[in-house]
Amino acid sequence: MKLHQILRWIVFVIAALVMNFPVLATFITALKSPAEISRNPSLAIQSPTLENFMTVLTVSDRLNVYHYLWNSLSAALIGSILPIIVAFPIAWAMARRGYGRNILFPLIVNLRALPLVIFAVPLYLMFSVVNLLDTQIGLGLVLAIVNLPLALMLLVNAVSEIPIELEEAARMDGARLPRLIGRIVLPLCRPAFITTFVFGFITAWNEFLFGLILTTQNAVPMTVGASFFFATSGGGVQWGVAAAVMIVAALPPLLLGLIMYRKITGSMVSGAVKG
Amino acid sequence: MRLLPKQENAILASPMVLFLLVLLGFPVVLSIIYGFSEASFESLMSPKFIGLENFRLVLQDSSFWDAGWFSLRFGVITALLECVLGLFLAVYLAPLIRKHGWMVAVLIIPMIVAPAMIGLMYRLVLHEFAGPIPYYFYEWFGWSPSFLSTGMVFQTIVVAETLQWTPFAFLLFLTAYQAIPNDIREAASVDGTRPWRMFWKIEFPQMLPTLFVAGFIRFIDGFRVFDNIYTLVGAGPGGSTTSMSIYIYETFLRRGEIGKAMAAAILLFIVAFAILAMGQRLMRRAQ
Repeated sequence: MKLHQILRWIVFVIAALVMNFPVLATFITALKSPAEISRNPSLAIQSPTLENFMTVLTVSDRLNVYHYLWNSLSAALIGSILPIIVAFPIAWAMARRGYGRNILFPLIVNLRALPLVIFAVPLYLMFSVVNLLDTQIGLGLVLAIVNLPLALMLLVNAVSEIPIELEEAARMDGARLPRLIGRIVLPLCRPAFITTFVFGFITAWNEFLFGLILTTQNAVPMTVGASFFFATSGGGVQWGVAAAVMIVAALPPLLLGLIMYRKITGSMVSGAVKG
Repeated sequence: MRLLPKQENAILASPMVLFLLVLLGFPVVLSIIYGFSEASFESLMSPKFIGLENFRLVLQDSSFWDAGWFSLRFGVITALLECVLGLFLAVYLAPLIRKHGWMVAVLIIPMIVAPAMIGLMYRLVLHEFAGPIPYYFYEWFGWSPSFLSTGMVFQTIVVAETLQWTPFAFLLFLTAYQAIPNDIREAASVDGTRPWRMFWKIEFPQMLPTLFVAGFIRFIDGFRVFDNIYTLVGAGPGGSTTSMSIYIYETFLRRGEIGKAMAAAILLFIVAFAILAMGQRLMRRAQ
């Protein structure tokens, strides 16, 4: 029994180290000075320094990380809040009245599984007509499409879990539909809104393909901006700076995800099993 | 004035339906127009109708078939590896996790990092001068494989994808494992069933539906892979890592063959939809 317990801990530590290796190694590299990187590529760091992070967080002509962060933040906020707004009313009709259960619901849920590149090309053409290319709003709208299927599923779930007696009691008191939804259902769905928002925000922040295709300069998100540091423009890649940029880019979803990991894992599982 | 339930439903549905009509309806129309037309970035606004020519071009393009074959192989292999590893980790670590819930958080970190970032991180980690992996290979074995060469790049990206998404399979299996009613296990252990037999005869069959779901989702995700491969190696040496998504991206943005890219996207849509419908029918039967 004791031996098994030790073996389990060993397996856990190995799995955690191997699966998180790229993140760990990048973090360690970000703490090395350029001189140390060329001398010592190993994981045993000799003299940790915040030099690279200072370079990244200081605005210069070559590099303005705040610009990318702002673009990611604004696009991800639109992309995670808008789906909740448009999906909530219909989620109630679907959960309580079976509205659209046969066609609309499966159609939207299946959107989630399609390769995103299918939408990327026509959206590029559409955005070039309506002047939404290279704007945060344009990118945000597209990310809202990406997040819509899971938002709808989670909200339909949330509404069906509210005890119907609460709604019936309100109806007995003469509450009409807008009041019923606004005063009874909406407050009870607050935990689901938070889960949907957090999940959508992480998905939107981490998205890459649409950022790559639909933005060029003004609205470039952090994921795409980080890849610019690997474009060798004379003198090769500055690995320390590039590593620090990646850590900065990965940090917002990582912090959010770790704080809310119970909600995230719950919605991942229910999203997978119900789809 | 009181509204009928039907009218109420229509009002409740309208925000989402309008949103979809504008942001998906419009692109669908454009896809069909451009799929049957000749257009480039110079003649974007004046597509010329050419019938099925784009589809003929795509179907005769050997790179299109190579990309399809690549995506299929990549999807199947990574889904299998992720399910096997995820199942093992879930079942083996479950007793430990019951006491230490935080372990789940540690193991799902890779999923919260953008696949595009993971691709970039491997560029650093595998770099022959700055990367720790080649360094340790030299240190321990006096030799290091060139991970991104034509011969090895496929294995490298399979490992990268597997390590990032095994946590997903792990999470689904863990949930399914914890949901198995304990009285089933207790009844079996009273009968003196040994652990290994218990797993295969009692627990595994209970988790079979989850295995289908996890395998299917991971296959779909592997099939449509773009971000991590693109940021790590692009289309790869000699185009050897051109997945279906990368093929369409390159046809569109690199080569500017808009009609052809659109035709390929329409074909991919049909194939993806067929796979989805088939997979869902199979899963319903399995349940």
